[in-house]
Amino acid sequence: MLVIAGVSIVFHNMSGDSAVGSGSQVALVTGGYDHTIKLWQAHSGVCLRTMQHPDSQVNDLEINPNGQMVAACGYQHIRTYDLASANPDPVMNFENIIKNVSRVGFQENGQWMYTGGEDCTARIWDLRVGRPFQCQRIFEVPAPVNAAVLHPDQSQIIVGGQTGIIHIWDIRTDHHEQLIPEAEASIQDIAIDPEGKLMAAVNNKGNCYVWSLGGSPPRPVPRTKLQAHKKYALRCKFSYDSTMLVTTSGDWSARVWRTSDWSLMRELRHDSQRWVWDAAFTLDSRYLFTGSSDSYARLWDLEKGTLEREYCGHQKSITALAFRDQAV
Amino acid sequence: MATYDNKAWLLKNVRDAFIATDDTGLCEIVMAGEDFSKIYQNKAMEEKKRDRDKVLYQPSTSRGKGSETEDEDEKEVVTQFDPYPDMEDSDEDEPCPSYPRFTDEMVHRQRSNTAQWLDKKELALKKAAKIKVIKWEDPPAPLTAEQMSEVFTKVNIVKPEKKKSLLAEMLEKCPDLPHRQYLEYAKFDGTAQLGLPTKSFKIFMTMLPEKHQNYPLIVCVIASAKIKDLIGFTCYKYSIEHPDITLGSVHDYGLYIAEDDGEVDWAFPCLDNNEPCSKFGFTCLGLDLKRKESNSCPIADFEMNSFTCFPKASVSGQSNVNTSRQKTGDSDTSEIIRAMNTLNEGNRSKLGFQSGVVTDASQDKLYRVQLLHKVRANTPVQLGITLDTIEVVPLVTNKHAFWARPKYFLHSMNSVAWCQILEAKSSKTTFRIVYSPSHDISYHDRNNSVNVNLYHPNTIYKKHDFECEHDTARKIVDKVNTILDLRNSPCRREYKSVKEKKLQTRTSFNAKHMS
Repeated sequence: MLVIAGVSIVFHNMSGDSAVGSGSQVALVTGGYDHTIKLWQAHSGVCLRTMQHPDSQVNDLEINPNGQMVAACGYQHIRTYDLASANPDPVMNFENIIKNVSRVGFQENGQWMYTGGEDCTARIWDLRVGRPFQCQRIFEVPAPVNAAVLHPDQSQIIVGGQTGIIHIWDIRTDHHEQLIPEAEASIQDIAIDPEGKLMAAVNNKGNCYVWSLGGSPPRPVPRTKLQAHKKYALRCKFSYDSTMLVTTSGDWSARVWRTSDWSLMRELRHDSQRWVWDAAFTLDSRYLFTGSSDSYARLWDLEKGTLEREYCGHQKSITALAFRDQAV
Repeated sequence: MATYDNKAWLLKNVRDAFIATDDTGLCEIVMAGEDFSKIYQNKAMEEKKRDRDKVLYQPSTSRGKGSETEDEDEKEVVTQFDPYPDMEDSDEDEPCPSYPRFTDEMVHRQRSNTAQWLDKKELALKKAAKIKVIKWEDPPAPLTAEQMSEVFTKVNIVKPEKKKSLLAEMLEKCPDLPHRQYLEYAKFDGTAQLGLPTKSFKIFMTMLPEKHQNYPLIVCVIASAKIKDLIGFTCYKYSIEHPDITLGSVHDYGLYIAEDDGEVDWAFPCLDNNEPCSKFGFTCLGLDLKRKESNSCPIADFEMNSFTCFPKASVSGQSNVNTSRQKTGDSDTSEIIRAMNTLNEGNRSKLGFQSGVVTDASQDKLYRVQLLHKVRANTPVQLGITLDTIEVVPLVTNKHAFWARPKYFLHSMNSVAWCQILEAKSSKTTFRIVYSPSHDISYHDRNNSVNVNLYHPNTIYKKHDFECEHDTARKIVDKVNTILDLRNSPCRREYKSVKEKKLQTRTSFNAKHMS
């Protein structure tokens, strides 16, 4: 390869970028209906690797806290993949699962993993080496689970399901509280801001409900209700600085809301985008990734409202996306 | 593939296959008591015995004859239950002509489905061995308070401080990327497909300066990608690897058939942009700007018996394939035409028209001859001789075998050095045309060397050998030689002098040897 000027140096990093596991790199991972998971070089838009996710679409992706692994969940499958090696196959396969697993996430030290699925449960998988399954936990709810999120204090998992009930499960005591923001509307996603002060949930009517969690004990207090989208909402996420909330939807758009006054900050729309399934902020909350049914992932500059990068390579819809940024 | 018609033999094989490939051993248990092949075999023995007994106890006049052939009968009476001889317990059986006998040499069929299946399974097992399988297990006992506090500790949330993103920094460093214009073609990447058929090509970047053409770009696309997608993906891949080189619009490029060494065969038009790439058998292609193909009469359309139109060459030496190849001076051409016309007037009465001659333009003739190859069978070609060029167009009857077609040649008359009859056989005459690629102007054109040095101390001469009827051969040789003599090109002069020198050394050697 001819190396001329600065651009090539950047490209030189390309091969090194596959060593995401070193923890010094940025990783963007997408997955979807084509049964593959792709690792991208986020700044150039080049696909670095493709991993196989046989027999199932990818419902959710999460990079583990040390950046070595990505967990993917789908129909009857939870798998983890090594991001640092060139292995296209999973390294771990969690079996004996029925139905769709809709969400996966990690405890902040990577000691355990939690999942929520259509078998009406949320589960905690003990990942510690040498003490297998000692602390497995299971939490059963009456309806299929669409959303599960871990509170930043690591002691509660918020589970939302098809009947529209949000369960706040205290892991240590097994106590749980219920919230019903809207009758007969399926909860599609739940998010808690990194400071643990706000909780948002979106439903299949396109509505977004926000609660304050500030008090002690942290009891959710209704804060606001947004008519976020006219159609089915799919995801919601807070930015790292808690100033923004993004909601994505089947109305072919992603919308970014200011958490200060709940006003609409940006509407991210692209002519060919179709359903926007997932989104992720960068660490400085300036950029946002979206993944959509047109099989493209996109990077948007939220300050300028411009489309910065496109990630093309998937054969079918991108339904899940995970991004790990690095502080400098 | 072999065909088996013996039930017992088939049964035994099917049975064995089941038992051999079943890891659980269940098949063996299930089928333990029912080895039909053995049952059939026993039945066959009984039947044979019965037949023999019949013969033995037959009170007949042909008794003597029967006893004579007794042993033979035993072997030749073949019952429906007889196994193939390679079955166990049938060693004593003699080969019997009524069955196909599979000797070791004959049994050379492909690996059986079972074997292939086993291979696949083994591969899957190996793959699976690397994957750690974790099954859900309910906790054996309620967790102790200690365990609880160890794993499920509540942490104090620290307000995340404002951080600078590494990605943002990288984005700033890398403002725009050349491959972005080809991004839509990225999805045709075949290297990362699960279950989709893919196809790989070696693509030479013919449109780039020569220094970038040394190595082909290996491109793997999904088989359903069209040629235009392949072009787009090639540009995408190339611009990622070589961000310093600017490529043009995908629509301006065409893919041309090329040799292993990257030399493009310009005789063929570029591949149709809208055809799926899986349709083509070529693996080596050259990417270049699309050329104007004003007369798109593809060579494949020539029929063996009626090749009436031949749009390539004309008096002016213009070619529809590549105009840059025939830059011979018009002035000397017209002179030669005049000379030729006088020549032809004399010849016409003598020779008349041969069957191979299609056009009656005196300076532009087409002949149907056989091109001889060293190894392969001869191929029918159309030899076009004009004042400026010699053109060898392969004629192929089978249009579907487009890729298997022999090569097309176009030589400037200035690069042709020699033409002579080699051998006159009973029905056909073979003749040879010697040419030098280094004297071909188009050759230099293609290689972008501006200063054409016509002096080549080590000129390489190549040859084509043809075969056709005596008269036609004589006529072609005469014609070519007339043109060559009239032109008296440097190439011909050089070749002549080399030939003379060779002749001299040979005679001098002989003289020395004799003395």
